[in-house]
Amino acid sequence: MSKIEEVKALVEAGKSKKIAAAVQEALDAGDKAQDILDAMVASMSVVGDKFSAGEIFVPEMLIAAKSMSKGVEVLKPVMAGDTSNSLGTCIMGTVAGDLHDIGKNLVVMMLESAGFDMIDLGVDVPAEKFVEAIKENKNVVLVACSGLLTTTMPALKEAVQTVKAAFPDMKVIVGGAPVTPEYAAEIGADGYAPDAGSAAVKAKELVA
Amino acid sequence: MLTPRQNLMETIKGGNPDRFVNQYEYLDIIMEASIMIGDMPMFPGNMGKDAWGVTWNWPEGQLGGFPMHDDEHKVLKDITEWKKYLKKPIIPTADEVWAPAIAHAKAVDRNEKFVTTFFAPGLFEMMHHLMGMEDALMNFYEEPEAMHELIDYIVDYELEFAKIVIDKIHPDALFHHDDWGSQISTFLAPKMFEEFFLPGYKKLYGFYKANGVELIVHHSDSFAATLVPYMIEMDMDIWQGVMNTNNIPELIAEYGGKISFMGGLHSGEIDFPEWTPEICAEYVEKACKTNGKKYYIPCLTSGLPMSSFPGVYEEVTRQIDKMSKELF
Repeated sequence: MSKIEEVKALVEAGKSKKIAAAVQEALDAGDKAQDILDAMVASMSVVGDKFSAGEIFVPEMLIAAKSMSKGVEVLKPVMAGDTSNSLGTCIMGTVAGDLHDIGKNLVVMMLESAGFDMIDLGVDVPAEKFVEAIKENKNVVLVACSGLLTTTMPALKEAVQTVKAAFPDMKVIVGGAPVTPEYAAEIGADGYAPDAGSAAVKAKELVA
Repeated sequence: MLTPRQNLMETIKGGNPDRFVNQYEYLDIIMEASIMIGDMPMFPGNMGKDAWGVTWNWPEGQLGGFPMHDDEHKVLKDITEWKKYLKKPIIPTADEVWAPAIAHAKAVDRNEKFVTTFFAPGLFEMMHHLMGMEDALMNFYEEPEAMHELIDYIVDYELEFAKIVIDKIHPDALFHHDDWGSQISTFLAPKMFEEFFLPGYKKLYGFYKANGVELIVHHSDSFAATLVPYMIEMDMDIWQGVMNTNNIPELIAEYGGKISFMGGLHSGEIDFPEWTPEICAEYVEKACKTNGKKYYIPCLTSGLPMSSFPGVYEEVTRQIDKMSKELF
């Protein structure tokens, strides 16, 4: 197995304690940082697909994301200043009145692993805060809004519409247990994803 | 006419119930025996610590409280050091503490209803309350030995409580909470659930059953269809909170007679600010007609006999009575 394949396998298996050494070995063996990063992104894409298909569960996805993040730490000094691999910035938050963060955190990890620079606004985020965050951050290409409760679905609608009113061309993706593709379309969102794995796929599609 | 208790037994044994078991009617939950909640907030606008030191925040306008896991509040920051930070709460045994629970239990006609002890949170929930969901889920892989030790420690605590509550109120039923999944999936792979949680639950539910508790009702308002074989193995009689994402008719066809299913009425679809009696009627009719009369108990997925919005629980009860008249 080549060093880069080893890195790929370690991310997919979520071996966070071994990944840093493996990435370093790949660099030492002459593999390019960008190729190593691409391999890890590809691994996370496999992980996301397996999660969406119900073949793996949240723990497996978390340890894979943690491994990738540790691998990226090793690459960072080598790739400093190189932003060509970024898909752009994504602002994410759970909408006003909703304090659920597990699903949102998973999406943040998966989008980060897919190549987005993530700005996590946390939970109970008022609609205007999404707009402020777009203004305050560079290269924002996507806003992701999460809501778990039936009672906070109006807040999801408000968030999408407030963002669209201020930035009509901004892509917005929504998700959460009560959200359906029909509801997402009805409130003017550009995309919907039922889980964190497909959120990464849909997000890449929206900004392509 | 059968008593609620008799009707429940007919339903879960596949006998001849004379009506639908109506939500929680067969359980008389002795909430006075839930003496280990500490200062956990029971109403919005409050914050407090439970008996294990987990800080809970229930902000105004929310449907429930949330355990806090920022650096200041997380109880276990490093699972490998759990013994340093965690002490089992002491369970009081003094008569005066238990007097209200004992009086309530004595007042129940046990031919009518099951005297029921309530326990929450369960083993899985304790893990993420103490260390946060992400840490808990990763620790099953990264620190499995420490996780096993901690689960065993919490099982011991639950057994201590079980011994005392059995001695004090002689419950006929246990109503135990532990949410094992989201609406569409379990949190853990079934094999991981089997490794970490099946042994503890076998011990716990086995102990209750060996000491006079006839009925084990477990709440998990989630998908958990893939865990049903383990539920049966741990001697659970009724899975309360079962959501339609589990395909209840299929579960009944496969497992009816070994376990029964209570739920099918999603709180999120029925119990919300703009609820109407018509919405309740529509969902109740669908649930009763789809899931049938045996091994199924129509019930909101809520983990207690109540609704978040006034009147919903009672309206659902009325609609189930209506369906009983129509279908029995």
